Amino acid sequence: MLRMSQLKRTYQGLNLTLFTLVMVFLYIPIVILVIYSFNDAKIVTSWKGFTLNYYLRLWENDAIKEALRNTLLIAGLSTFISTVFGVLAALGLENKRFSGRKGLLALIYTPLVIPDILMGVSLALLFNFTRVNTGMLTVLIAHITFCVSYTIIVVQSRLEGFDYSLVEAAMDLGAKPAAIFMKIKFPLMLPGIVAAALLAFTLSIDDFIITFFTSGRGFDTLPIYVEGTIRRGAITTINSLSTLMIAFTLFLVVVTKRVRKTLISSL
Amino acid sequence: MSRKTALTRKSLEAQALRKRNISSYLLTLPALLWLLVFFLIPYFIVLIYSFLTPGTYDVKFTFTLDAYRQIANGSYLRPFFLAFRLAFFTTVICLLLGFPVAYYIARAKDKLRNTLLILIIIPFWTNLIIRIFSWRIFLASEGVLNSVLLKLHLASQPLELLRTDLAVILVMVYVYLPYMILPLYSVLEKLDFTLLHAAMDLGANEARAFFSITLPLAVEGIFAGALLVFIPALGAYLIPQLVGNQQSLYVGQVITYKIKNIPRNWPMASAMSFTLLLLVALLLLVMYYLYRRRLRSRTY
Repeated sequence: MLRMSQLKRTYQGLNLTLFTLVMVFLYIPIVILVIYSFNDAKIVTSWKGFTLNYYLRLWENDAIKEALRNTLLIAGLSTFISTVFGVLAALGLENKRFSGRKGLLALIYTPLVIPDILMGVSLALLFNFTRVNTGMLTVLIAHITFCVSYTIIVVQSRLEGFDYSLVEAAMDLGAKPAAIFMKIKFPLMLPGIVAAALLAFTLSIDDFIITFFTSGRGFDTLPIYVEGTIRRGAITTINSLSTLMIAFTLFLVVVTKRVRKTLISSL
Repeated sequence: MSRKTALTRKSLEAQALRKRNISSYLLTLPALLWLLVFFLIPYFIVLIYSFLTPGTYDVKFTFTLDAYRQIANGSYLRPFFLAFRLAFFTTVICLLLGFPVAYYIARAKDKLRNTLLILIIIPFWTNLIIRIFSWRIFLASEGVLNSVLLKLHLASQPLELLRTDLAVILVMVYVYLPYMILPLYSVLEKLDFTLLHAAMDLGANEARAFFSITLPLAVEGIFAGALLVFIPALGAYLIPQLVGNQQSLYVGQVITYKIKNIPRNWPMASAMSFTLLLLVALLLLVMYYLYRRRLRSRTY
């Protein structure tokens, strides 16, 4: 027993050290970005004093504003459409006995285990082959395509643990199918739907490579704009932009926690 | 019960089943059509394009095996080799770093655990490209790390850290670490600690207890994590492009250049993409086989 507690302590000690190191590793780049976004220097290297200049310049930059608009537009639309597809498909997949279910599941899971770049290439060639001009529409199609598998899986996993005795009880009490869906099934699915939508939204605003292959000239999302700016070497506003994006992430973390809590307490 | 009512009941059940099937088809139809048109069919177009003749801006519709011939004679071996090497090192390092972290979180107290998990997830939710960008600031020759090293007199001149293969591996590990930690955590969390106690009581030492109990029970998480890291790493483009150099081009970069840069070579890009797809499929089959074998051996 003594050895056990000793072992536990060495384990815990070692793990704590490694854990701390990994945390430092994970957060160093983020902390650096935030600090340097207030740095009053043209090149990012050394500290020259505090400034909010680059935040103001960010506000004046129309290209960034347009890229932000495009990103949010694409993310919003692709989230909505892929979540609707996800909910419908998950409800259909509940029936374990329809033929072709296995094939459909394979089709849904395959995009998750294939490198992103291949989806980018294949869509680029599809749009070339069909002579569709690349732009907003092609980017939207691409984003829906890589989001839809995730939304189906997330909603479906929520339905998996569904308690059918509730439905049976409602039927026994004479509830109509529509009422059963709206009053029982939908509320229980809602956390899954919210989770799916959030996931789709994050995937969409984060994507670079598939957008890179499917957006034409003149339609930049934020990641595409940032990559282009880094490549051209004009990086002064990227720090402040990045800091705002990190702030947005933190905001999402807090909000989703709230959402999750209110959802749970409302049930 | 008469025979007639039994029959009608049977046919009623069949009817209900058919109705359910029809509604299942209708509900899954949008997703099915979408994935067929925009996921499956495009790969057939990739396959077709890989047999065509390259043009400067487009493709010519004349059949040739040139692209595959070039892949087969090894002209494009290096990008594939580099991608596999990168994926391998990234996966191994992520596993070595991720395991203790996942273990630590799994053993932490309930309240702390959620906070720790969120700490892991926040970087993972932060935009990929800005995280890569910040590593450039950190590693650049006039960057943060070099200025610290120079100030502390640990280096006499700035080290060339950015634009190296090592930098690529470092940032890959940084980006993919959460993908390893989360599945490992979900299996380690379920690990029954009394088993370890029992093993120690029976005289197993620390190492033995770890290798014969903790590790085998965590194997599913290791499989999942390895899959989530290795496969995307094979297609890496952005990280090698932003922190690597032009001497070591990874397969993702070569494919992208052939699609984007003029003169274009779409047949070559297609052939490489298709080869990569086949390699991934092969890898998945091997993993699946190993996994199945493990499951079977466990039931005995």
